[in-house]
Amino acid sequence: MSTPPLSTTPTPASSSSPFPFPPEYSFPPFFTRQTNLTTHHAQLTKWSALVLAYARHHRILKLSLSPNSPATSTRMPPKDDDQAKQEIDTSELFHNARLNRQLAARDVRAVIDFLRKDGRAEYVAGTSSAGTDGEGSGSGGEGDMAWVYWRTPEEWAALVEGWVDATGQKGSVLTVYELVEGEGTKGAEFHGLDQELLLKALGVLVKRGKAQVFGQEDSQGVKFF
Amino acid sequence: MFQKHIDLTTALRPSYLPDEDLLFVQDNVGLYEGKYKLPNQQNGQIYLTSHRICYVDKAEPRKHSAALDLKDVDRFEFYGGFLKSSAKITLIPKPAKRPLLQPRSPGLGGLSPQSSSTSSQHQDGPPRASPVEPPPASTATWVCTICTFSNPVPSNFDPTTANAHTPLPPCLACGIKPTLTHVLKATISNAASRQPSTPTLQTPLPVRPKPATEFSSRLDRARNSSPRGTDPDASFQCPRCTFLNHPSLLSCEMCGGPLISHDLPAELTPQARTHTESPGPVLNSMIAAPPGADNPESAKISFRGGGEKIFYERLKGSMTQRKWLLQGAPPIPKASRPGESPLNGPSSGPAAGSSTPARPKLGGIAGLEHHSQAVRKNNELVIGTAFEDLEALMASAKEIVALADTFARQVKGAGGSSSTSSASENALLADSVSQLGLIATKDIVGSSSGSGGADSLYLSELARTLAEFLTDDRRGVLRRAGGIMSLVDLWAAFNRARGGVELVSPADFEKAVALWGKLGLPVRLRTFKSGVKVVQGCDRTDETTIKALLAWLRDLHEFPPEREVAWDWRRFGRGVTARDVAERFGWSIGVAEEELEMAEERGVLCREEGIEGLKFWENFIDTGEGKGYKDPERVKQERVLKVLKESGFI
Repeated sequence: MSTPPLSTTPTPASSSSPFPFPPEYSFPPFFTRQTNLTTHHAQLTKWSALVLAYARHHRILKLSLSPNSPATSTRMPPKDDDQAKQEIDTSELFHNARLNRQLAARDVRAVIDFLRKDGRAEYVAGTSSAGTDGEGSGSGGEGDMAWVYWRTPEEWAALVEGWVDATGQKGSVLTVYELVEGEGTKGAEFHGLDQELLLKALGVLVKRGKAQVFGQEDSQGVKFF
Repeated sequence: MFQKHIDLTTALRPSYLPDEDLLFVQDNVGLYEGKYKLPNQQNGQIYLTSHRICYVDKAEPRKHSAALDLKDVDRFEFYGGFLKSSAKITLIPKPAKRPLLQPRSPGLGGLSPQSSSTSSQHQDGPPRASPVEPPPASTATWVCTICTFSNPVPSNFDPTTANAHTPLPPCLACGIKPTLTHVLKATISNAASRQPSTPTLQTPLPVRPKPATEFSSRLDRARNSSPRGTDPDASFQCPRCTFLNHPSLLSCEMCGGPLISHDLPAELTPQARTHTESPGPVLNSMIAAPPGADNPESAKISFRGGGEKIFYERLKGSMTQRKWLLQGAPPIPKASRPGESPLNGPSSGPAAGSSTPARPKLGGIAGLEHHSQAVRKNNELVIGTAFEDLEALMASAKEIVALADTFARQVKGAGGSSSTSSASENALLADSVSQLGLIATKDIVGSSSGSGGADSLYLSELARTLAEFLTDDRRGVLRRAGGIMSLVDLWAAFNRARGGVELVSPADFEKAVALWGKLGLPVRLRTFKSGVKVVQGCDRTDETTIKALLAWLRDLHEFPPEREVAWDWRRFGRGVTARDVAERFGWSIGVAEEELEMAEERGVLCREEGIEGLKFWENFIDTGEGKGYKDPERVKQERVLKVLKESGFI
């Protein structure tokens, strides 16, 4: 069997192009939890790869785990199209309508848990407390949404750092809003990134001593060293 | 050779002759020939049957197993063991086949040309009737209960066929008729004692000491013959009346008793020398057996694990019964077999005479009625005589067994007319069991004092019996169940086949079944994940099952499914339910489920739970390449690096 088409996703794919699902996606037992541990592990691996590839393809940041039909996930708009809607129905990921097979909610959670162990996913801590505590992802974990890190905060941080280096902004102070929405970052990978996620990435940089974050809730600024 | 090679069954037990009954099994025995150990036959099991003694070697059963026929055994002796030497039973073979009327010893070789004339002369010589008869049966005598005169048993009297109608001659001295049982007893005890006693008569020059371990039935003869040992001149003492006869006489001048002797198998003597020069001192001094030179081929069974006493008892019993004589013996009852004409000569006596003339006169229902009445009468007679005396029962054992059989069949026919198929099946099962004949029961197996504990031999015998039961082609128990059968089903079938006697307890059964692997038998016990226990042939391993399953699933890639499916069936085939598999392979559904789960456990299959139930598919999830999740970015980087390396940039 060929490898899932993961490597093709980072190329600027227009949001309209459908995701090329791997062959397992049309294999009915793929949607049943396997009892054999080895097989189960392989199943989780394949599902994780599929979820990540799918998220990467559609630039999804927060994936909806709801089994209900309109599963509204939040995504980054494609680079070339700033105005594209930020929300997308991702119900097709866990529900193969053609086969009439669906991954059970329990198993979806198992896949996300599997990704979490790899640092590739995190539950979005309850909707009310969004943004306050980026580290407390493991505590609740009951949300219907999950961060899917097709790029981990560390990777985002590296991208930001690279951009700062490339544009010679060391020592300057930027607002978080500027980084995400500003004209200057247009064309950068992290343009349009969710603020919450960007703050997580910046947190990584702060720990390394490469940046300092200050300011209030809505008007946070960052200084790069 | 005294010993013969034997065929073993699949379960490494001796395969038995028709009518042969297993009497006793004992493990941890060794064999001797003469006084010397047989190097390859020192650890094995001994099987005593009604016809043979079989030795099955533990290490090399197919190579070193041997048997000897009881009919070739002249006598046997018991040695209880002393200090380090274990108990032994010595079997002394009959000398080489020769007619009974031959010169009795090499020392009288000069007489041998005249042997025929001597015998004829002596047949005329004694005044009494029928003094010497060549067949062995005629040498028996019965002692009249009235006048204590020793009468010869008539030559045509056969203990195996005799019944109440057999004409018996009256006592020669007082003219009182003996009872049948009396004569029967005399014949049987004579048959038991004749064999061992004759060798004492075979040499006119007394050399042989009597074995110390004589059993009581022939003690009197032994006592009588012992003074002969001190008599230096060549006269021959009659074993019955102690009259000293001339050695050339064939029967006693006084009482007419036979003076038959045997030649020593002189030509066999040198064979013994080939083993070693010096006999072991322990064996020589302690065993009261005759010196090895007399019986070069005598075989000894050494019981290192005990059990010799029971073996000895059973051997004595089977030597007395002499079942091998029964083989091919004509059936006795005349009236019960209407097709049989009264051909039995003198033995078909008044009963045949009474019923035969009446038969042609009657016809129709009256005839049938009369006939069945006659049958009943005859049965009554047979049973009556049989239970009159234990020995008589033994003599007519075959008869009684046959009768019991017919009774059982009649009962079955009357009661179970509801389902003829099951009745016939039962009959078939019972039939095949009696054909198999040998069923290990606790009492025929010696209790081993060795390491395994008392039950181990019984269990291993049971395991072997079971293996034979399963692999028996006539029955095809395993084959009919698709090569695999649950343990509970087997237990039921086995106990049913035993016909309701000597049932095996579930605990023993389980323990015996667990021994299959250790004994190297061609069947094995398998425990499924769920705890279900099944039995199957050793050749059917999980691998072969998986191979069969996979081959079938792969076939499904070729044949389109019955209806339109959403997936790519050329690539994935289709899922199968346990029911499909059961139908396909002839298994029970339970077994099919277990087998599928076993294959899933091995990672060969994967499952799909849907509205159509649980289906199993070829495993396309775990195809090996997904092992160890890799970051796609890193994979890409690695690929770039690799390309760069290949093109020589790095």
